[in-house]
Amino acid sequence: MFRADLTPAKRRSSAVLFALAVTAALSAAGFGAPPAAAAERETAPPAVQEHVLANGMKVLMVPRHLAPTVAAGWVARVGSANERPGITGISHLFEHMMFKGTRTIGTRDAELDALLIEKQEEIQTQMRAEMAIQRDRLRRGEIADITSPDAKTPRFRELEARFDSLVAQQRDNMVKNEFDQVLSRQGASRINAFTSEDMTFYIMSVPANKLELWFWMESDRLMNPVFREFYSERDVVYEERRLRVESTPLGKFQESFDALFWDASPYTWPVIGYASDLPFITKQDADEYYARYYAPNNVCAVLVGDFDPSQAIDLAERYFGRIPRGEVAPPPMITREPRQNAEKRFYGEAETNPAVTVRWHTVAQVHRDTPALLVLAELLNGPTGRLQRNLVLGQGLATSARAGQDSRKYEGLFEIDAECRDGRAPEELEQAIYAEIAGFQREPVADDELQSVKNRYLTRTWRQLDGNFFQMIRYGSAEALGSWRDADRIDQEVLATTAADVHRVATEYFTRENRAVAIWTRIASAAPEDPALAGLSPQSREMVQRSLARLEGMTGPAQVEEMLDRLSAMGDRMPAEMRPALDLVRTRAEARLAELRKEAQ
Amino acid sequence: MNRDPRTPWLAAAALIAVATGVARAGEIPERPEGLVFPDLDYEPPLAADYRTTLENGMVAYLVPDPSTPLVTVSVLLRLGPDQDPAGKEGASRLMMGLLTEGGAGALSAEQLEDRVAALGAQLSSGLGGGRRGMMGMGGVRTGPAESWVTLNLLKKDLDEGLALLIACLKEPAFQEDRLRLAKEQELQQMKERNDDTAGIERREWGYLMYGEDHWTTRWTTQASVESVGRADLTALHRRYVGPANFLLAVSGDFEPKAMKKALDRAFAGWPTVAETPGPPAAPTHEPVSGWFAVDKDVNQARVSFGIRAIDRYDPDWYAALVLNDILGGGGFSSRLVNRIRSDEGLAYSVRSALGGGTYYPEAWSVTFQTKVRSTAYAVSLALAEIAGIRDEPVTDDELALAKASLSESLPAGFETAGAIANALALEELTGRYQRDPGYYREYRDRIAAVTTADVQRVARRLLDPAAMTFLVVGDVDEALLGDPKHDVTIESLAGGAPTRLPLRDPLTLEPLTE
Repeated sequence: MFRADLTPAKRRSSAVLFALAVTAALSAAGFGAPPAAAAERETAPPAVQEHVLANGMKVLMVPRHLAPTVAAGWVARVGSANERPGITGISHLFEHMMFKGTRTIGTRDAELDALLIEKQEEIQTQMRAEMAIQRDRLRRGEIADITSPDAKTPRFRELEARFDSLVAQQRDNMVKNEFDQVLSRQGASRINAFTSEDMTFYIMSVPANKLELWFWMESDRLMNPVFREFYSERDVVYEERRLRVESTPLGKFQESFDALFWDASPYTWPVIGYASDLPFITKQDADEYYARYYAPNNVCAVLVGDFDPSQAIDLAERYFGRIPRGEVAPPPMITREPRQNAEKRFYGEAETNPAVTVRWHTVAQVHRDTPALLVLAELLNGPTGRLQRNLVLGQGLATSARAGQDSRKYEGLFEIDAECRDGRAPEELEQAIYAEIAGFQREPVADDELQSVKNRYLTRTWRQLDGNFFQMIRYGSAEALGSWRDADRIDQEVLATTAADVHRVATEYFTRENRAVAIWTRIASAAPEDPALAGLSPQSREMVQRSLARLEGMTGPAQVEEMLDRLSAMGDRMPAEMRPALDLVRTRAEARLAELRKEAQ
Repeated sequence: MNRDPRTPWLAAAALIAVATGVARAGEIPERPEGLVFPDLDYEPPLAADYRTTLENGMVAYLVPDPSTPLVTVSVLLRLGPDQDPAGKEGASRLMMGLLTEGGAGALSAEQLEDRVAALGAQLSSGLGGGRRGMMGMGGVRTGPAESWVTLNLLKKDLDEGLALLIACLKEPAFQEDRLRLAKEQELQQMKERNDDTAGIERREWGYLMYGEDHWTTRWTTQASVESVGRADLTALHRRYVGPANFLLAVSGDFEPKAMKKALDRAFAGWPTVAETPGPPAAPTHEPVSGWFAVDKDVNQARVSFGIRAIDRYDPDWYAALVLNDILGGGGFSSRLVNRIRSDEGLAYSVRSALGGGTYYPEAWSVTFQTKVRSTAYAVSLALAEIAGIRDEPVTDDELALAKASLSESLPAGFETAGAIANALALEELTGRYQRDPGYYREYRDRIAAVTTADVQRVARRLLDPAAMTFLVVGDVDEALLGDPKHDVTIESLAGGAPTRLPLRDPLTLEPLTE
């Protein structure tokens, strides 16, 4: 199954990265919002045909004849989880490199091309040595930013100029972006690819009569890729990092929160790669990576649309069948996330509305508890879900809230994210989230509530099956995380989930020591200024703002009295420069107390 | 129809095949040009095959497809923010959203949602471009001046679902607590207006291109949203939500005759027929050429530059499509991507885009994001490409590639019944069906007719760098420094310092002064 939703939320657990910018927002069409006892399949799920080549490559086929097109893709069972510190981001960079051509595609003279790449590598080795010196200077505090153009040494500039001239020579011998051009000229569209923690998926849509072209192009780049323009593409990917992470309000914070959440699992680093690693990945790293993970036995092709399976099998045998099985088997994933022993907390002060994110460690995609966790997420989600009904509408603590089970190949997490209603404090919302979870732990879910969720789930599955592209991604992703059969199996098991199953997973995973909490507040400089705060130091200002927000959210005099008690107790221990801040909070708290007492009368 | 003129690649491929020797069946040719493809006789869907008129005069597009047991009924309306009363910006959007979220008839909002959920259905509504689905698939591709209400459910539940849909359209309750929540959500989003450079860029670009008094740039403010009351919603509803302003796009598992009957029943007996607003007003403001910059402390600059171009009925429209594809619209095959992304590694996303021109000429623009110090260099490369496409004819290869990719990918836009129904209904909703009924059928021929000379003529007509508006959002002081590796700065391109635009107060959109 694909991630429960792909909506680019501000505080999502992770991103799926595409080779080419996707023009439309990824939205709810097949993956988003969610479902009288009608939950039985009205027609059978599509018959997926599986064919396995002698070299271990799997081909999945779903013929559908509505329009003369085929959604064609292949997925490599590799993602950022298979990386290591030092080369983080290589899976995604590699995905970009797969559009750079082959020995046949993208060059006028393959031998000259290879020679120029070799010469470039020699210079790059020297440039890396120069950067190692710079890295050392960075550690000593002699320079502040290793990537700034001002930090380049004269020697580096000289090497860079030589490198640039080799690139120019190579460019004269290249057919730019020929891979894309050959396909576009024949009407292929949506040519793209995406990388996640666990998979790298290469996708497109081809006219039904051009299926053989897809086999030609894809088998060629699987067999003979040439990583030309490696270093400029690495810069492109770094721009993608700036775009998604470094210049967005929450990108860098999200990376920190991910790193906090995972202790040992390789999910701890971002798919896009660390800022330190990405600019220094080498072509040699990519060559090794290719040999290990891009053998046919680690790849699965998926075709959905207007074609004849027996013809497709012939083509697969002929084109993909010629690729030799890999010499090195991909190594197994050994590292497992250890059991978390204590709650983790994260305070993100950023350019964002106040909000809270709570995450619990759960299970991998293929785990038997995945279906019940998906049901739990749906019980919380949507217009009838408990988050909307209780936190947004009932108690008026949040303006929006969502839950999701993020099932990955090796681990999983369950996340609830909610944005505070104006004046409400994230901590208050956090407690209300726990109260919702406690509800599931205390009482079994009512039959009609459970049935409604199943009905929503069933129709959502059908929506996913409408459209060749969605089906291709559904079965290819499931295969990358386990088996394509899981997609249908999990859907069936969701429909068979009982109230007792939901109760069991709610009790098992949703404990205090198993969670990490992010409290999001608006950073002082970005908030509209309260004039009373103007004279305070930035540090005290943040403290005051958080306290005032909490005060605003308090509903009874007792809460305020408790706060005033704490303030008096703190008063003695406060450094002198924090005193004005404390006094301000006390004055406001007293005013709020008077207000609440008046309301209570 | 003669397929030859619009499939030059086929002839080219055949020629190459002759030259290199066609691969025999079972063999793999050395290059992909050696492949020979079977003919594909594809005709895009024809409105007449799906278009029907209901008894009350409403038009419906019915596209059956039994492959999944679902039915989708979309009601499309011409209703945009241009109908917001002055000072109540946001009213139409609130009304459209609450149509399905605020209760209907005898049902409270909660009861309605419970019923919809119990059926496993989706019933939602909104104003403006949205619901485009993943990678542009699925969803209704409405523009900013159109609205939609969509029901999706299992076919067996159609009768009940239709009744709920009709209740929402006919007697929405606009429950007060739901209106309050929707307004709060709007205000929450407003507060984040200056957090992300993308939002700042979008708004300032709108002001520069269309002026501050155009309907597309009369954005909501705290005051305008707070002033919207339930009476405003009911007034808008009474005026615009009725059969005279409805167009239906229906797809899924049904038999057309039975569906038409069901729709006739459902839409019979409406309290008011409502009215269809005329096309939304064109901007009266002329874009100001020159350089503008908004300061925001991030290490990547967002850059937009361009001009107001032409509408989709302009005789040069198809040549402009081809021109844009070659210059920066054609992804990896376009010049801007080749130069700025592939050659120089300066941006992940770089493209040129020709605004849809649905009702009036919209902007043609180049957009990219690059590390702040590279801003001037990247713009200079883009300007060189623009000069190149004005000064020199495009190559035959480029022309053939752009034309083939525009033409040959046509079927991919009609992959599902829903896509067919939505595309055809939108044609009628936005008036092209009436003005240019042959659009989809003749599309490939019109693209095929574009010549090298057309492309150059249109490049010269539209892409005048002296008339262009440039906007940079990011760390402006760093961007002004430029990259010492290249001998170009923003000031050298602009002939002076760019005009600094202040950030705006997120709640009032009044310029903020330091």
